[in-house]
Amino acid sequence: MNHALSLKIGPATFRIGSAWRQPVEALARLYADYPDAAGKVADFTVRLEPAGLFRRWLRPSIFITGDHGLADAAPMSLTHGLLAAEMGMNLQMALGWRRHLLLHAASVERDGQALVMTGESGSGKSTLAAQLGERGWRLMGDEFALLDLATGDVLPFPRLVSLKNRAIDVLAAEAPAPRMGPLLAATAKGDIRHLVPRSDAVRRMGQGARPALLLFPRFGHAAAVRGVGQGEVFMRLTQASTNYVALGEPGFAALTRFVRSVPARAIDFPSGEEAIAMVDRLWEELA
Amino acid sequence: MNALLLVRALRDPDGVAALDDGGDGAGWNALIAMARAERLIGTLALRIGDRLVPQAVAPILADARLDAEREARQALWEADRAAEAIAPLGLPVVLLKGTAYAAAGLVAGQGRFIGDLDILVPRPSMQAVEQCLLRAGWEWVKDDPYDDAYYRQWMHELPPMIHAGRDRMIDVHHTVLPVTARQRPDAAAMIGDAVPITNELYILSPEDRLCHAVAHLLADGDLAGGLRNLWDIHCLLEGLDPVALDERAARHGIRPHVRQARRLAAALYGDGARLTFWDRIVVARLLARDGWGRERRKLLRFAFYLRSHWLRMPPAMLARHLFTKWRKGHRPA
Amino acid sequence: MPHRYCQDGEDAVATCVLEDMVLLYHRPSGQTHMVISPVPEILAALAEGAALTASEVHGELSRHYDLGPAEEALPQIEAHLAELTALGLVRLA
Repeated sequence: MNHALSLKIGPATFRIGSAWRQPVEALARLYADYPDAAGKVADFTVRLEPAGLFRRWLRPSIFITGDHGLADAAPMSLTHGLLAAEMGMNLQMALGWRRHLLLHAASVERDGQALVMTGESGSGKSTLAAQLGERGWRLMGDEFALLDLATGDVLPFPRLVSLKNRAIDVLAAEAPAPRMGPLLAATAKGDIRHLVPRSDAVRRMGQGARPALLLFPRFGHAAAVRGVGQGEVFMRLTQASTNYVALGEPGFAALTRFVRSVPARAIDFPSGEEAIAMVDRLWEELA
Repeated sequence: MNALLLVRALRDPDGVAALDDGGDGAGWNALIAMARAERLIGTLALRIGDRLVPQAVAPILADARLDAEREARQALWEADRAAEAIAPLGLPVVLLKGTAYAAAGLVAGQGRFIGDLDILVPRPSMQAVEQCLLRAGWEWVKDDPYDDAYYRQWMHELPPMIHAGRDRMIDVHHTVLPVTARQRPDAAAMIGDAVPITNELYILSPEDRLCHAVAHLLADGDLAGGLRNLWDIHCLLEGLDPVALDERAARHGIRPHVRQARRLAAALYGDGARLTFWDRIVVARLLARDGWGRERRKLLRFAFYLRSHWLRMPPAMLARHLFTKWRKGHRPA
Repeated sequence: MPHRYCQDGEDAVATCVLEDMVLLYHRPSGQTHMVISPVPEILAALAEGAALTASEVHGELSRHYDLGPAEEALPQIEAHLAELTALGLVRLA
């Protein structure tokens, strides 16, 4: 393809091809401090193609596909090309990754132990993980947590953090400007800005941690902590995993081991500050 | 670049040792993207086997092998469920395509992507089979009356059904080509000569397996995914008696197609063959895939798309069908 | 003749207890089922190649558990067996 770039994020290598220069340039700038993957064999190919015959030039419109794709994926505007590339990589992981149990979850590490947070988009897990990542925790990832099938450790997937709407200002106030990506206004999910994880998160992206606490955060409610039964945890994690079924019995073994060994709580919180205080308290108590 | 890279790797897996020569990953990246796009990555992984490959490639191939294993296991389970659902009718359930190859342990099944369950049942039993499946938890995929009527009147199968609990599709065929197609394979003979592999499950005879694969590739399809179908044919040809095959193909009215398929399989996956002008166009269509996994040669593909419908339908009906599809927003990919 | 039921093969299911629930991983289908009592007990009664009728299962279970009146327990066991058969965890012998 006309423009191409290879990236390594955690254990996965991506080859991204694009019909346009802009998405690849934006990626190259934000992933500049990641390990050099040029000339490596990629686990996945991502393609950003014109959505129609003339859509490379005329109202340029991106169709996201690759080794794995969705036939009915909605085309995206070229001004959101960076987001398209990120979505393309996520799509490959979600549909094609088989080397770990993949949980749609954010994770952070302290003292060799991992805090895993899962919930639907809008639950605040991504923002919370990003904030913790600026305050003494190591950010392992805001989107996918990878559960090792043999050891049970959580492995990082520290791609760019995707900040949405109100979370943008919250993190812009904490993180230095050079680590913030361009504002992508009015995407299908509202305004989006990417945040480059801190350099230790990138440097240690091959290092896993033992999972010590699982949280189901929920933003926008009065502060509350609730225990969650193992059956419910299992159900919610199978729903949060894109490859549980595909992994078969090893996935079953890894997930049941996780559910039986990691304490779980649902937390409601009205603000980021309160969430961080709750996390610290629960971490002291349970991890 | 075209898919000859993939074809060569399947034909001669020892050759992949030279792929890394550039040291820039380009050869392997192209091969893997093509194999995934053609749904041949599992087959490729099994062909390469224990041969030495670069460190980054080994886990990709291992994943593909595991996916293929799971694929086969699930396909066999779907076949088991369908057989159980249909058991009260006392009919032979003839497995077709990927599930059949997996169930019988054929070389064609090794690493093969499977997807839907395809079974062949006698035409007079179609309604009873449909009722059994509905009772056992399958349901219609689409509720478009035009599509439904079209399937029932003209196609060689029931409209596709999906199992609500397991999310897997089944295609119930009563013959192997659409009723409108110019060739009329003898489905009753195929069922009559099917061979048992378990108490309830059957597969087609070796000659019929090949005839079906050929019908699927050349008489029916627009050759999308054709490299995989041709790989099936290459594997199924192994050990077949050419004379018996020729006779059987004549009975099904597809002798020229079977002969062409043999030439194509020999040219791409075997020891070579003399190709006709038309064969060369088909080969160009089959190989239209680049190192990013993209389909190339849009015009050639579109020509084959039109041709596939032309082969299946009388012209007036084709016009009506394409027009109805077009009004609903369907465009060839 | 009442139906006889048996497990789907010796080694078909991996189990894992999560507090008051039991997870069953069914190897041939790759499906995970989450069940509660008396389903695990019914499956256990069919272990080791046993092929039992619903009332034999009832008899087996009532040796270990208090099932209450048979006219209520038996239809429940029959319903569970039918459901397990539909899932493929249990087969008609």
